[in-house]
Amino acid sequence: MATFTLGEVSIEVDEDGFMLEPEEWNEDIAKALATTEAVDILTEEHWKLVHYLRDYYLKFGIAPMIRKLCKETGFPLKKVYELFPSGPAKGACKVAGLAKPTGCV
Amino acid sequence: MRTNQISAEQREKAFVSARKPEVMEKQKLDVRYHVEDFDVNDRPRRFLEAFAAILKHSNYRVALDHFIRVSAKCSRCATTCQVYQATGDPKDIPCYRSELLLSVYRRHFTMGGMLRGRVAGTGHLTDEKVQEMADSFYDCTACRRCNHECPSGIDHGLITHLGRYILSEIGIAPRALVVSTREQLEGASGNTSAIPVPALIDTLEFLSEDMLEEKHVNIAFPLDVEGSEFVFFPAVSDFLMEAETLMGIAAVFTATGDSWTTGTGYFDGINYGLFYSDRILERVVKKIDNETRRLKGKKVLIGECGHASRSAKQFLPIYCGGDKALPVINIMEYTHKVWKEGRLKLDPNVITEKVAYHDPCNIARQGWIIDKPRELLKAFCKDYVELTPNGEDAVCCGGGGGTVSIDEIRPYRTMVGGKVKADQIRESGCKILVAPCANCKKQLKELVEDQKIDCEVAGLHDLIYKAIIFDDSLKVSPDEKQTGEEE
Repeated sequence: MATFTLGEVSIEVDEDGFMLEPEEWNEDIAKALATTEAVDILTEEHWKLVHYLRDYYLKFGIAPMIRKLCKETGFPLKKVYELFPSGPAKGACKVAGLAKPTGCV
Repeated sequence: MRTNQISAEQREKAFVSARKPEVMEKQKLDVRYHVEDFDVNDRPRRFLEAFAAILKHSNYRVALDHFIRVSAKCSRCATTCQVYQATGDPKDIPCYRSELLLSVYRRHFTMGGMLRGRVAGTGHLTDEKVQEMADSFYDCTACRRCNHECPSGIDHGLITHLGRYILSEIGIAPRALVVSTREQLEGASGNTSAIPVPALIDTLEFLSEDMLEEKHVNIAFPLDVEGSEFVFFPAVSDFLMEAETLMGIAAVFTATGDSWTTGTGYFDGINYGLFYSDRILERVVKKIDNETRRLKGKKVLIGECGHASRSAKQFLPIYCGGDKALPVINIMEYTHKVWKEGRLKLDPNVITEKVAYHDPCNIARQGWIIDKPRELLKAFCKDYVELTPNGEDAVCCGGGGGTVSIDEIRPYRTMVGGKVKADQIRESGCKILVAPCANCKKQLKELVEDQKIDCEVAGLHDLIYKAIIFDDSLKVSPDEKQTGEEE
C-alpha cells in the first residue's frame, strides 16, 4: 500500500500502482496514472477505451471480457497493446481506475 | 533437452525485485513476490509449530520418513530441472531445495535428529533458513519433472508444496495467490477473478451473439440446468481472457446435443490451494462438489486448465466421498470421445499453419491425458509437429505452481522458468502453440512476447471452434432474430 502523488492528484494505490478506492476515479487521476504506464498523453482513442472500461466496470463490477472490449471499441487487441503497452488487463484497467485483476489474469 | 545458461546480464534482469526495500525491511523478507503483512517475530518457532500441526493432521510423515531415509543427494534431478539448467545455480537443484525442508524435519521431528541436535547443540531452524525457504520454494515451478529422474522416488514437488503450505500458515505466501483465494472463499463473487454473476451472464450472451453471427448456429451456454450430464468449471479467468476456448467448448456441445451446464452458484475451476495450502485446496474442492450436487449434475467437467483438472480429479475423491465421489473429466477427454464416436466433425482444411502441442504438467506428468489432444490435432491440422521432449516428460511452460499469477516475477518466469520452453518452441518452428491450460496460456503468451518468438498461443478448443462443421439442421438463416441465450 502506498500513496501515489502527481501534481494535484494524490491517491492510495497497491504495490502495483492500481487504485485502492476505484470509486474516487476521475479524468485527472487517469492522466496521472497513465504516466506510470508509459503513456504520456491520453489521446481520443485512449479515452474511448478508458471510458468503455469505466462504464462497464460501473455497471458490472468487473472489467469486460477482452474480446468484448475489442469488439465494442472497434480496436483489435494489437491496437489495445499499442495504446497501453502492458495490455488491456493491466495498463488500460489501471488507468481506468479498476482494481488489479486477480486470479489467472 | 539441453539449454545454455542465461548470461550475467540476463540474470540481473530476471532476478530484479519489484518489492520496495522498506517493505522487505519491515517484513524481514527478501523475496521477489509481494506478501501481505504478517507477524515477523519468532518465525522459526512459529514455523515449527505450524509444521507440527500439519504433521499431526495429515499423513505427510509417511512420505517424509521415507524421503529422509533414501535421500542420497545424488543430484541426478539436476539433469531434468529447467530452472537449474537456466541458472546453473546449485541452489536450484531439486535435491538441494528439498533438503531445506527435509533437514528441518530430520532435526526437529525425528528422534535421532532431536537427540543428535541436542547433544551437538546445532542444526536448529534459524530465521535465515525460513528466509531461504520462502525464496527457494517459489523459484520452483512445481512441474515435478524431477520426480521421474529420482532413483529413490523422492517427490520434490510434494516437498515444495509442503514447504509452501507451512510458510503460508505463518503468513508467508504470494499476495497474488492469497487475495485470489480469499475472494473465492470469502468474497462476494466467490471466484478468483471476482466476476459477479450479472457479468458472467452478460459475457455468455455476448459470446452466443458473436457465434450466431460467425457460425449461423444458436450456440448456448446453458445456466443452472438441473440434472445435466456435466457441470462445467473452467478456469474462471477464461470468462475474461479466453473467449475462443469457451466458444469452442460450447460449439462442441451444440454439435453433440449432450447436456451441460454452468452453475451461477459457483463457476470457477481454479484451485490455488494445490500450489500452497491443503486447507484451501480442501475448501475449494468442496465448492465444486457442492455446486455439482446442488444442480444434480452427474459429472464434474473441468475446462482447459491443468491444475484445475488435477486438483479436482485427485482431490474430489479424497475430500468429497471417496469411492462415491463425483466423476471428474477434463474437456479434452469429452471432445476426443465424441469425435471418436463420429459426433464431432472437423474441417481438415482450415488450420494450415504449423501447429505444436504443449503438455500442461498437471495433465501429462502422471500420464493422464497425452495422446487424445494429439489425435484430434493431427486429424484436422495440416502441419502438426511435436516439441521434444513431450508427454510425461514434457517441459513446463515456466509459470507452473501458481507462479504465473505472480505478475511481479514475470522477468523470472520468462527468462529463467520458461527458458527451456522458449528454446523448444523456437526449435520446432511452430506458428500456433496449443496449450489447453489457462495457466500455461498466460505464461506462454508472455514468454513468446518477452523472448520475441513469432508464435501464437491458443487453446485446443480455439482451433476446434475454427474447424468445427455443424450439421445443416442446426443452421439458422442470418435474418432470423434468435439469440443463443438460455435454453
